[in-house]
Amino acid sequence: MTGPGSVRFEGVVKRHGETTVLHGIDLAIQPGEFFVLLGPSGSGKTTALRIMAGLETVSGGRVLMDKRDVTHKEPGERDVAMVFQSYALYPHMTVAQNIGFPLKMVGVKAAAIAQQVAEAAAKVNIGHLLERKPGQLSGGQQQRCALARAIVRQPRLFLLDEPLSNLDAKLRLETRLELHALQRTLGTTTVYVTHDQEEAMTLADRIAVFMEGRIAQVGTPREVFSAPQTMTVASFVGTPQMNLIPGRWEGSAVTVAGHALPVSRTAPGARDVMLGVRPSDLWIGSSGLPARIERIEDLGDSAIISLTGNGQILKSKGDPQPARQGGDEVFLTFAPATAHLFDPHSGARL
Amino acid sequence: MHRSAIRQIALAAVAGVGLAVWVFPVIWGLLTSFKAERDVLAYPPVWLFKPTLDNYREVLFGASSILPNLWSSCVVSVLTTLLTMLIAIPAAYALARLKYPGKRASGFYVLATQMLPPVGLIIPYYLALQRIGWLDSYSGLTATYLTFSLPFAIWLMVSYFEDIPLEMEEAALLDRAGRLRTLWYVILPQVRGGIAVAAIFVFLNAWNEFMFAVVLGGNRVRPVTVAMFNFISVEQTQWSKLAAGAMLAMAPVILIGILAQRHIVKGLTFGAVKGGGRR
Repeated sequence: MTGPGSVRFEGVVKRHGETTVLHGIDLAIQPGEFFVLLGPSGSGKTTALRIMAGLETVSGGRVLMDKRDVTHKEPGERDVAMVFQSYALYPHMTVAQNIGFPLKMVGVKAAAIAQQVAEAAAKVNIGHLLERKPGQLSGGQQQRCALARAIVRQPRLFLLDEPLSNLDAKLRLETRLELHALQRTLGTTTVYVTHDQEEAMTLADRIAVFMEGRIAQVGTPREVFSAPQTMTVASFVGTPQMNLIPGRWEGSAVTVAGHALPVSRTAPGARDVMLGVRPSDLWIGSSGLPARIERIEDLGDSAIISLTGNGQILKSKGDPQPARQGGDEVFLTFAPATAHLFDPHSGARL
Repeated sequence: MHRSAIRQIALAAVAGVGLAVWVFPVIWGLLTSFKAERDVLAYPPVWLFKPTLDNYREVLFGASSILPNLWSSCVVSVLTTLLTMLIAIPAAYALARLKYPGKRASGFYVLATQMLPPVGLIIPYYLALQRIGWLDSYSGLTATYLTFSLPFAIWLMVSYFEDIPLEMEEAALLDRAGRLRTLWYVILPQVRGGIAVAAIFVFLNAWNEFMFAVVLGGNRVRPVTVAMFNFISVEQTQWSKLAAGAMLAMAPVILIGILAQRHIVKGLTFGAVKGGGRR
């Protein structure tokens, strides 16, 4: 894609005293992209976002926007807008004043501000709330107000820091869809931080998975889900998390506790591996790895079965199993093509 | 239920005694200010007397009028308040928010100046003001009051600034407000209450101050607290005029107290409730 809004991190390092929060991050975000920074708490994703915003300085490396070095530019000089997790609305101003504030700060005339505020508010469906104060709005309305404040001045980059985390589950789903549609309409590059992998999967054009201050993988949601590059990414993305079973890879099978489980690739030589199988790919069959059912969680349209096999807890997700019950001895199997193989020491995908 | 009723009554009794002790001198002063000199000295004290406004007339417009002194108090107190707030607001903001070398030390310094016993400073202040020719001047007295009011106001307001979420300020910075306009448009409107409390306390402290005023003031600048001593002399004490002067000096204090009661109570309990502390 062309147009403004590209972001590039070159070896960005961030230290807080003795602690290193980001270990030399490299990242390239394309113009118009919906890019999600996904990772558990403390993985450095929010720090990366704040560095993009200019709210945090870097300890090393460079930040480029549209090929220009902005590493040492002030937040106000970067032409970016941010929606904070807490929304950070100005409580003493009305919704209209909140949305119009960025325009007022760059000297836009009052009449033009009123018009642009009305347009931005209409885009997020809060046109009827303009005279209220933030304290008189619901959580969802506050969130929309924060969004309107971000879009009103048409920045080159939107930064969103877990903007849905304070909403209830139903509203979160609705807002997620609206947010996606809004980004597509505006076409503005959007960087979105979340620890919710479902949010990441549904919103992102591409995802960067952060783990302990490093980017473990960058790719489309499909790539990250179906071909995780490390064991940590594999176990972080997907619910319930991927089953990781130690075994020995020999020929085109992985042997676990004396049972050969076929995989689609042939080992170059016998070696220890970590066999990864997503719960949705692991099902109860007539042969395979022996296991005992511990618990069945019936979700109505599906069921999550917890089992003990190979001395560890394994999970299988599939159709409801009314005939099965806790204590049943079964065999677990999977299609060879759905198996993931990782180096048990480095965690890297094989 | 029974126990709590007793408790309520006991509390009310203690509060009543406390209130009586506090309010008696004020009531007595008020009554005295309307008495003729003869009634003031009557023994046993008279509660029923013919009230007169002569004392107020004399104190305001007579030979020993305190009007110029009320004006002096007003000038010094207003100047002290304005200058204190002008310096203390940015200073408190800086202490609450900015990262700079020596921040901890400067924070401690602000508090440490509050620990000095004022009486120990009178002579150094006198000598310093004499050297620069500021004795008996508005500048001298205002500068002196500033040294006490600034640390107090800064210390009080820091917690108000700290209570504003940092993200709100960051949002304003991203909205291209810059540091000063962020302070003006986003932060100050939200700490209005704190500013009001600090300003009121600074004004009242300056208005009520006596010790420095009596030493560092003079014939040109003599605040009302000092002027009231004119009614006490070796030969006699003019109790009724003294009382009228005291009532007039108290009037602005009481007026401000009533108007700002809500802010003051909120301001004093602020830190306790919100648990704010210096970062």
